[in-house]
Amino acid sequence: MRSSSLGRWLVIGFFLTYMLVPLVATVAFSFAIRWDRTILPEGLTVAWWQAVTARRAFVLTLTHTIIVSLSTMTVCALLVTPTAYWAHIRVPRAKPLIDLLTTLPFGIPGVVLALALLRTYARFGGAIVHSPGMLILACSVIGLPFMYRPVVNALNAVDIRTLTEAAQTLGAGWGTVLVRVIVPNIMPGIVSGALLVFSLVFVEFTLANLLVGARYKTFPIYLVEFTRFDGRQASALAVISFIIAWLTSLALIRLVRRAGGPREEAIGAR
Amino acid sequence: MERWRPTRSSNPGSSTIPRGESLRARIKSLSAWSALIPFLLFALALEVVPILTVIASSFRTEGVWPTLENYREATAPLIVRSFVNTIKLSTATAGLGVILGTLVSHAIATSRNRYIREATTALADVATNFGGAPLAFAFIVTLGSTGVVTQVLLKIFGISLYPGFRIYSISGLVLAYLYFQMPLMVLLIQPSLLGLRKEWREASLTLGASSLQYWLRIGLPILGPALLGGFLLLFAHSFGAYATAWTLTGPDINLVTIQIAALIRGEVQLEPGIADAMATASLFIMAVCVAGYQWASARAGRWME
Repeated sequence: MRSSSLGRWLVIGFFLTYMLVPLVATVAFSFAIRWDRTILPEGLTVAWWQAVTARRAFVLTLTHTIIVSLSTMTVCALLVTPTAYWAHIRVPRAKPLIDLLTTLPFGIPGVVLALALLRTYARFGGAIVHSPGMLILACSVIGLPFMYRPVVNALNAVDIRTLTEAAQTLGAGWGTVLVRVIVPNIMPGIVSGALLVFSLVFVEFTLANLLVGARYKTFPIYLVEFTRFDGRQASALAVISFIIAWLTSLALIRLVRRAGGPREEAIGAR
Repeated sequence: MERWRPTRSSNPGSSTIPRGESLRARIKSLSAWSALIPFLLFALALEVVPILTVIASSFRTEGVWPTLENYREATAPLIVRSFVNTIKLSTATAGLGVILGTLVSHAIATSRNRYIREATTALADVATNFGGAPLAFAFIVTLGSTGVVTQVLLKIFGISLYPGFRIYSISGLVLAYLYFQMPLMVLLIQPSLLGLRKEWREASLTLGASSLQYWLRIGLPILGPALLGGFLLLFAHSFGAYATAWTLTGPDINLVTIQIAALIRGEVQLEPGIADAMATASLFIMAVCVAGYQWASARAGRWME
């Protein structure tokens, strides 16, 4: 018994080490004066943080990324919520098709999606295919599965049919039913999906790099550029990304705990 | 039920539903479908048509269609090696991810400390979402040539990682990918591990089986489909990854996604059709993995009742 519990602690210790050391190292590195010839940093400073956040490009790329993330979130929510509700209540026969179309993006690597969109829409000119709008649409494709699963789970958890019929009996039209009755009831699902999409798009590099690149530089592109010429400032940027990922994940965990349901696993192609 | 309605209306003599009624029902059902049009148009324009365009375009060279010319050119050693490298990398990270992830998940599931259980699961949850450029950079800071852990190993333990090991190589990529593969497997296998009933283990031990025999004859066979499903999903996950590899190694490493991206940016003097052929081959591999995953997870669910 004792040996098996020792084994368990070794395994958990290994896992914690593997997961935490790179994060702690990156945070420490972003505050280190110099740390390439000694075991401990030669001193601490906030200079790298000041330098990197003072740049105009920092604010610009961060703004771009927030715009793309929020827009993608909105597109996904507006596209998925009415569709999932309608299929649930009126067209159950459409469900397998919608399931397929929302699962498909899992099987499309980012580079392949970028190539496919370029091949299809390049004929309409670079102004369209290399636009931020195209990036938002492409991000919406990879966001679909993350939005769809939590919304469907939320729909399954509530008695949608009774709610709909009750509202209709009271004279509500379809639009009113959806906005004032259904949406408030499946809000945890919509918010979960939206948070997953947000955290996914916030670190999205592949599509941004291949579709828009320097025309509309996003935060991850800026970060990759920095890794090539200034490691300390890059580490500050990486820490910002990690913090965003942490915050969205913690919000999700809290949300799911309050809703009391299991969380649909987030699996994305990185 | 509804599916039979058109057949019935085509034979009005035996139908209890008058013809006009059925037509109205059909129009009603069509109008119900019409509310799905925005979503279906989106999926058609941004998923179906682009993917079919790439597949079709992989069979076209200089206006000739259909032709296998692009695939013939894709047998160039550089391209073949990119597939071999990617498959090796994906097999290694998926295999190690499955083994380590399952061990960790088992340790978490059997831990009696509730706090440890919840904290490690939450950590796995968050870590799965880390990836791409920031993760790659964290590994450069940790295990790069002047990285933090590299220094500690060298100065305290006298172990010199470099030049034998390089984080900017395929083995470095394996370590970086494991950072998201391992927690993903921890989460994927967790329901199946919790589904292993205590009674099964107790019954086999009572009947005189050793712990090893229990795992070999009962535990692992029951987990089999879930392990296979996990392997396929992790394989696909790694096969399609680009951002981590690009940040860590740049164009130095010959992987499928790196090659396709280089062809998109026009950095390489190769026929653009080769990118389409590579993309189509990747889609095929991904489709096999995802379909296999769905099949395996349906089978894995059988024991969960």
